[in-house]
Amino acid sequence: MKTIIYTCPYVPAEWIAAHGLQPSRIIPDAAEAEGPLGRAEGVCPYVQGFINEVITDKQAGGVVITTVCDQMRRAFDILVRRSDVPVFLMNVPNTWQNVGVQKLYIDELKRLGRFLIGLGGKPPLDDTLTEIMLGYDTARTSILAAGGYLPAREYAETIAAFGRDGPGEEFTDITKHELRIEGVPLAIVGGPLMRQDFDVLDIAEQAGGRIVLNATETGERGMCAPFDRRLLRDEPLMELASAYFGGIQDASRRPNSGLYKWLKSKLVGRGVRGIIFHRYLWCDMWHAELRRLKDWTDLPVLDIDTTGDNETRRHRTANRIHAFLETL
Amino acid sequence: MSDKPRRITLEEWDLRYEQLQRAGVRQPDYGGLLSRHLEDGDQRLLKLRYDNSAAALRLWNFLLTEEDRLHDARAGGKKLIGTMKDLGTVPVMAYSFDNVVAFYPDGAWWIPCVMELSAGLLSIADSLGIDESFCPVRAMLGAFITGAHFPVPDRLICSVGATCDDFSAIAQRLSSLGHPILWWEIPHRRKPDSNEAAVNLPGGFPAPKCQVEFVKSELTRVKTALEESASEQLDEKKLSAGIKEANQVRRYLAELRHLAFTAELCPLPALEMLIAEMLAIHFCSDRRETIGVLKELLGEVQARVQAGVGILDADAAKIFWVNPVADLQVMNLLEDCGGRICGTEYLFTHALDAIPQDLPPLEALARMALADPMVGSSTDRAERICADIRKLGSEAVLISRIPGASHCALEGEVISEIVQEKFDIPVLEIEVPPVTDSMRPTVRTRLEALVETVKARRKR
Repeated sequence: MKTIIYTCPYVPAEWIAAHGLQPSRIIPDAAEAEGPLGRAEGVCPYVQGFINEVITDKQAGGVVITTVCDQMRRAFDILVRRSDVPVFLMNVPNTWQNVGVQKLYIDELKRLGRFLIGLGGKPPLDDTLTEIMLGYDTARTSILAAGGYLPAREYAETIAAFGRDGPGEEFTDITKHELRIEGVPLAIVGGPLMRQDFDVLDIAEQAGGRIVLNATETGERGMCAPFDRRLLRDEPLMELASAYFGGIQDASRRPNSGLYKWLKSKLVGRGVRGIIFHRYLWCDMWHAELRRLKDWTDLPVLDIDTTGDNETRRHRTANRIHAFLETL
Repeated sequence: MSDKPRRITLEEWDLRYEQLQRAGVRQPDYGGLLSRHLEDGDQRLLKLRYDNSAAALRLWNFLLTEEDRLHDARAGGKKLIGTMKDLGTVPVMAYSFDNVVAFYPDGAWWIPCVMELSAGLLSIADSLGIDESFCPVRAMLGAFITGAHFPVPDRLICSVGATCDDFSAIAQRLSSLGHPILWWEIPHRRKPDSNEAAVNLPGGFPAPKCQVEFVKSELTRVKTALEESASEQLDEKKLSAGIKEANQVRRYLAELRHLAFTAELCPLPALEMLIAEMLAIHFCSDRRETIGVLKELLGEVQARVQAGVGILDADAAKIFWVNPVADLQVMNLLEDCGGRICGTEYLFTHALDAIPQDLPPLEALARMALADPMVGSSTDRAERICADIRKLGSEAVLISRIPGASHCALEGEVISEIVQEKFDIPVLEIEVPPVTDSMRPTVRTRLEALVETVKARRKR
C-alpha cells in the first residue's frame, strides 16, 4: 500500500485512507545545515525540515502540501523540482465564514481524491469512508481522554504516532493510565513542533510544570473536531470537511478569533497558570500572535523562539523555562 | 521635450523649477518646488537623483501630495477605502463608484525610506510585537496608530489566502487593534487539470474556470461592501467604464515600459519608471490625474526616443529587476553603477496587463486577480520573467529580496534556477532594507560586479 505523507492538520487522513492508501502525517527532524535544500536564509525551520524530509524519503508514494502558510505553499515549488515523488498542493482557505470557502475546501478534497486515484488509489465508497472515520474518531477520543494522565512527551508522541500510523489497538486502552502528573499547570501554544522540540515538554515537566494543554499544531489543537455520528452516516464527506475545516483553529485563519475562543475555553477549563508560546524563527503567522496573546490573557506568557537546531539554544530554552516556572 | 535629459539633485531641481516657471510651463494645483516636501520630513529626497523633465516633476509632486488628496476627498464627502494586499484589483472596482477613493495603506512601507526612519513607524510596529523579522510593510501598523500619514479609511478590505504571511499576519494584528477588516479569499492559482474547463488570464497563464468563478463570488462580496459604504449601486455599465479607464492607465504604462526598456538610449530613469508603474495600483488616489501624469511622461519619453537622447550611456548593462525595493535610492545606485532597467517584475504585473473588456466586468476582474504573480507559483513567476527577458533582451536578472518577506526566502532560488536553465545570463540576489546607507558599499559592490560581468560577457 502506498504511503501518502503530509504534515498539515487540515489534510484529513481518513480521506486518504478511504482511497485505499496509507496516510502518514510526518513530523520532521530539524534540517541539517548541509541538507538538500541548500541556502535557507529566511526559511522557517519547520518548512526547511519538511522539505529535507520529503526529499530524502524513499518510501513515500505521494506528498500533500497545503496553502495554509506561504512558505509551505512555496515549498511545493521546490519539491516539484527536487523530488521524484508526486506532490499535490491543496488550497485550504484562510477565511472560513461563508459557504463559498467551505465549498472550496470540499472541492479541493475531491481534487485530492483524483490525485490519489492517479497514484493507484480507488474511488472511496461512502460506507468505507464512514467506517474509517469512525475508527479514527474513536482513537482520537481515546487519545484526548488520556491527555490528562500522560506525561506531556508521551501524550505528544501518542498524537504523533496516531498521525503517522493511523488508528490501531494501541490507542484503545490508553486511558488505563492512572498516573496524575503533579506540577504547575501549563499550556504550550504555537505552530507545529519538530521532533527535537518535543524536548521542551520534558524540560517544562522537569522544571516543575505540568503541560495540561498542548495547543501546538502537532498537539491536540491540530486534531479535528469529533464527528457528529448521525451526520457522518448521511454525508460522510461533508462531516469530514466540517470537522477539519470548521474544527481546527489556527493562527492563519482570517479572522482568527476562533483560535482565541478555543484557547479561552481550554485555558479556563484546565486551570492553566502559565503559557509557553513556542514559535520558529521566520514563522510570521505565530510570531505576530505573541504580543496579542500577551495583551489578551492575564496569564504569564513565556516566548520560546527557536531555530530548532542546536544545543546552545536548548540550554537557553531550558534556562528560560526554569526561570518562568520559578516565577509561577 | 525638456532640455538635455539628465539626472539631477533636489537642489538642482529648485533651480530647474525656476527655469520652467519662467518658460511658462503650467503646473497642476499640487505642483511646486520639489524641495518643499522636505518640510514633511521626506529627508530621503535629498539623496535621490531625479529626471529633469517637467513631466517627472509632475509625477513626483503627484506622488508626494497623495495624503493631501485623501484628506480633501474625505472633506469633499467621499468615502475612503483602504484596500490591502491585492495590489490593483479592488481599486479598479472602487474607482468605478462616483464617491469612493481607494488607496493602499500598504504603501506606508516606503515611509521609513522616504523619511529616513524619522517617523518612528517601525518602532511602533516593534512595540506591537511586529519586529524586524517582518517585511517593512509593518510600517503600516505605525501609520494607523499615528494617523499622521493617511486618514484612517472608512472601510478596510484585505485579500488573504495565496498572499505573503507577513502581510496577512500584520493585517490580522491591525484588526485585533480595533480596525475591522473585510477579508476576501484569493486561492493559490493552479494549473487546470487535463479534463477541466480552463480560461486564459491576462498575462497568459491559464486557470481553472472554477477558480475564476470562486474569485468572482468573492469579488461580489467586496462589491456589496463597497456599495454599502458608498450608498451607491455599482452596475455592470459603471464597472465596465471603470475597467476602461484602468486600461487607459495600463496602455500608457505599456508604451512607457516598452520605450524605457528597449530604446537604444535609456529615456527615463529607473526611479521614475518605478513610480510610474506604481500608479497603476490605485492611481495615487486620483485616476483622472494619473492618466494625465502618465500621458505627459509618455510624451516626454517618446520625444526623447525620437531625438535619440537618453539619461544613460548607450552601453549600460540591461538588467531585469525582480521585486520592488524598500529603499528608492537603490534604483539610482544601479544607474550609478552602469546599469539600466530592462524589464521589471515588481509583484504587480496583473495591475499592468490589460483587463479583458469583452467579458462581464466582474469576471474580467476575477481573471485579473488570479493573474497576480503572488497568487501563482514561483515557477509561474519565473516563466513570466523569462518571457519578458526573451522579448526585451535583458542581459542579467537582479532579484531584490525584501527583508523578512515570507515569499523571498524560497522564490529567489526557483526564479534563479529557471532563468539560468533558459538563458545563459547572470542572476544576482541582493537584500534591500528601507534605508541602505550602512550597507551601501556592499550593495554597490554587488551591483558593480553584476554590471561588469554583463559587459565582460559582451566581449566573449
